Amino acid sequence: MSATPVRATAVDAADRRGSWIPDIDARMAAFEPPVRDLLEPSLETLADADRITLVPDAHYPFHPSSGMVTDPAVIGAIVARLEGRTDADIAVAGASNDRIAFDRTAEYLGYASLLERFDADLVDLTDDRRVDDICEVDRNPTAVSVPSRLAESTAVVVPSLRPSEDGPVAGAMRTLAGTVDCDADPARVPVAATRAVDPALAVLDATTAYGGAPAAGDTLFAGSPVDVDAVATALLGRSLETDAALETARGDDGPVSVEGDVDFDRLRERVPDGELPPPDETHPAVSTAYRVYAAVAGDAVPPQLEGGR
Amino acid sequence: MGVLLAVANGYDDDNKARRRPVFGQMALPLLNRWTDSSALSLGILGVGNIGLVHLKSAVAMPDVEVVAAADAVPGNRDRAERAGVSRTYDDYATLLESEDLDAAVVALPPFLHAEAVERAAAAGVDVFVEKPLARSTEEADEMLETAREAGIAVGVDHTLRYQPDMAGVKAAYDEGGVGHVPYASITRLNDHPLGKPPADEAPPEWPMDPDAAGGGSLVELGVHCFDLLEWLFGDLEVQDASMGRTLETEAEDAATVLMAAPETGTTITLHCGTYQWEQLPEVNTRLRLEGVTGTISNQEHLPENFYAGAAKSALSNVGGRFTNDEPDVFGPTFYLQAHYDALADFCDAIREGERPPVDGADGRRTIELAETAYELAAESDGEAAEPETPEVTL
Repeated sequence: MSATPVRATAVDAADRRGSWIPDIDARMAAFEPPVRDLLEPSLETLADADRITLVPDAHYPFHPSSGMVTDPAVIGAIVARLEGRTDADIAVAGASNDRIAFDRTAEYLGYASLLERFDADLVDLTDDRRVDDICEVDRNPTAVSVPSRLAESTAVVVPSLRPSEDGPVAGAMRTLAGTVDCDADPARVPVAATRAVDPALAVLDATTAYGGAPAAGDTLFAGSPVDVDAVATALLGRSLETDAALETARGDDGPVSVEGDVDFDRLRERVPDGELPPPDETHPAVSTAYRVYAAVAGDAVPPQLEGGR
Repeated sequence: MGVLLAVANGYDDDNKARRRPVFGQMALPLLNRWTDSSALSLGILGVGNIGLVHLKSAVAMPDVEVVAAADAVPGNRDRAERAGVSRTYDDYATLLESEDLDAAVVALPPFLHAEAVERAAAAGVDVFVEKPLARSTEEADEMLETAREAGIAVGVDHTLRYQPDMAGVKAAYDEGGVGHVPYASITRLNDHPLGKPPADEAPPEWPMDPDAAGGGSLVELGVHCFDLLEWLFGDLEVQDASMGRTLETEAEDAATVLMAAPETGTTITLHCGTYQWEQLPEVNTRLRLEGVTGTISNQEHLPENFYAGAAKSALSNVGGRFTNDEPDVFGPTFYLQAHYDALADFCDAIREGERPPVDGADGRRTIELAETAYELAAESDGEAAEPETPEVTL
């Protein structure tokens, strides 16, 4: 069993109508008590930091009520707590990807306007200077280039509770993997990223989860990135053994324990265990069938059914 | 094809033509330039997603020859070539200068519509313009004046009225199936341009930029609804509107409009938004007419099961191959078939020297209604945000 349990705390949703409060200030107010409780055991470590960098799941501007990204209000509540209890320079960071630039995603998700309330910066890691590192993954030395902002600060990774496109949880390790450059086997990259960045804490945003459909989880978890990913894996109904990166990162670690005021089994029942929606691109078999039909019938093949041709 | 000439009371007798609405038969002598008996030569300006639908539609049409396509994106030009276009250009202006066209499809982003129509007018080429026709009524007026001076026809791709479900609603309404309709509602939702997970391609920026697109979801989706509603109920009066944003985008991704249709005495609400994940082939377009004796819904006129409907259409087309019947192009996908029918009607009108069935005035009208909605929404926002006058004690 891991030495330090993952901490869990519930968000009070008793007076909420529906599952989503559009007003970000109201959500931040709701998140402040659980964030305070979750961060308390880590404040001693965080208080020593000169710079703290929060890394949310902001991979694409999906609406936070879908559970597909970290709720910016969770980040706002963490920033507010850290500003009140530390003297560190605080930043919220993310990276562009091959779909969309981080500054666009951050703007649409409201990070730019959110951080105007604080003395905190929004940092695009894409063009950040890189710090090269070698870390061992599965007994193999693995080269990783880490953005200097992450290499030279205390990182707190704040993943959403959702699956990745490939099936395993997106989690803390894969959220960090999206910020580094690493040419290793894809299963090793999340491990290498986590070891190179060495975040002080992972906070799992399970206030809204996505598992084929969104669900109000109303819970936050905090712990080590690997343990938090194990918790996320269990909540999404996946097996730890089917996630190669998580299995590598965990090594011989035993079960992860969760402590706090949360009925874990009930939460696990509430969170659906499905996948991401199917891609718009039609299944190759359907595309082929349509092309055969079109050839026989003399019809045209719609662009959506071309099957990526 | 002569579909327009065959229409007497709203619809043809054959099933395919039942999807085709009634349009005015006003002959426009100035449009009678096209008298050659050879195929109508067509250029496609912009072959992104909808441009490629138009291209494939046109390629499948009898008496239409797609001679060239233009797109700034190399991959789109490659797709156009695979779809059967022999010549492609990276610049639509060069295409218009280089090719001898009868008509052009303008499937460019809205901020390029005016310039494209101007260049087509200079070349004497009729145009079929994607919606929205323009980014404002002012821009539309300039475009239509340019077109009028050059003697070119302007058609607009408003396709909801071509969909079989909407034609079914209109037929039921016109036949008096529910009596007087005091209230109607339409909802159109999709996820353009951000899409749903997994994010697989970069979303274009222009749809989120009101300066480039002319607005947000109201001009992306609402203009189609305006066109459909005026086709059903006659002139609309916009009475109130509200715009919403689920993300911090400059353009609205939700719009709600309250309207009246004086001719039919119908109060109408329209809600459109680009915030909802869409899983094709399902599309979220819902029209309900609440009448005295019951409800007419477009859902009643859709295939009960999309795939079953698609299979039926496919079988019909395959069977038609052996009886030399023309296939329904995009047969198994009715919403794409509506684009085919709209473009086919435009081409027919050009060929017959008639006004396009959905013309520039129709396109301008939808923008006018959208502008009124924006103004009313802004007024409401202004009233809500206006601070109370403070009392000053000297």
